[in-house]
Amino acid sequence: MDPHAPLLPRIASGDKTALAALYQALEKPVYRFIQSRLNDPFESADILHDVFLEVWRSAGRFEGRSKVQTWIFGIAYRKVIDLHRKRGRQDLTDAVDEQIDDSADTELCVAATQEAAHVRHCVDDLKPDHREAISLAFYQDMTYGEIAETVDAPEGTIKTRIYHAKKLLMKCLEGRMRLSGAAGGRAAP
Amino acid sequence: MTRQEIEALLPFLANDTLQGDERAAVEAAVSGDPALAAELEALKAIREVMQAEATEDTGYSPGEVGLAQLMRGVEAETQAMAPVEAPVVRPVIWQFAAAVLLALVVGQSVYFGNRLNDSGAGYQLAGAAAFEITLVETATEGAIRAMLLAAGVEIAAGPSALGLYELRLLEGVTLEEARAVLEASDLIESLSLPEE
Repeated sequence: MDPHAPLLPRIASGDKTALAALYQALEKPVYRFIQSRLNDPFESADILHDVFLEVWRSAGRFEGRSKVQTWIFGIAYRKVIDLHRKRGRQDLTDAVDEQIDDSADTELCVAATQEAAHVRHCVDDLKPDHREAISLAFYQDMTYGEIAETVDAPEGTIKTRIYHAKKLLMKCLEGRMRLSGAAGGRAAP
Repeated sequence: MTRQEIEALLPFLANDTLQGDERAAVEAAVSGDPALAAELEALKAIREVMQAEATEDTGYSPGEVGLAQLMRGVEAETQAMAPVEAPVVRPVIWQFAAAVLLALVVGQSVYFGNRLNDSGAGYQLAGAAAFEITLVETATEGAIRAMLLAAGVEIAAGPSALGLYELRLLEGVTLEEARAVLEASDLIESLSLPEE
């Protein structure tokens, strides 16, 4: 059962308290998702505002074929893409996927997760499409189908992105641990 | 299912969203392959860290300020769709006041910057934003200017579409001094430090 689904008919009928409730429930994850693509808190706040205004305007068109959260993340994704297009930016991640053939040392990866800064650094270091896929999987616990719907991409593409993102993330964590070990146990900057 | 397909689905076993035949296939592969099992544990550990971060405050997240602005936006749309009885001029006045204020503050910064540099006093901007504010809609340009001067701050960025301004301290002004003036002002609708 989608906990946010009952709010949509109320929003569609003009209930502002329902919109406020939905905003309070999803503001932070949606903002984090936008911020992960824009890396600009001011622009991210503006896009977040636009996203929830769009929810207010189009709640009546929500058909319930997906979770409310997935629908809203999809709106956020399209607004970020529109902004990138206006600026002539393109994300070419799929065209230049890095091939990581050798496996990372999983013990070092687990050890690296003891320092949240290592994980934050390595996630931030991923390319936008990779970061987006891994963030939606691990921050939002989305299925690959939900991620595909959110970013309007085929499921196969999402699996490929996740595969590469995971490899790059684990390689990065392994590298951070080796680096901090070489620096006498201090966290790498 | 190929090894690469199984590896691609491991994150979805880690976040517990994998179902049906795919789940059974990946679980079977993991149980018979220590390397895959170790990778799954690493992915679970990564997810736990990210989930823990997700529950922490997002820092710059607009929060209640953003909600208040959203409600204003919704109200404005609702009024715009209602039969018009009188022209709504307040937003235009507000935008005009914000534009004039920004121009004045920028001009003033340039003026004082040049003057102090000429005299060798070494005026320089204090760097990162110290406060994030929103203003009440009835605030006039003159009142805002007086408040900013009294607090010893200048506008570093804004207004955003939400009406957010970033303020930074002028040289020699402490955070506490500026905050005391801003908090006492009835022009401030909300005030926060970026780290709050």
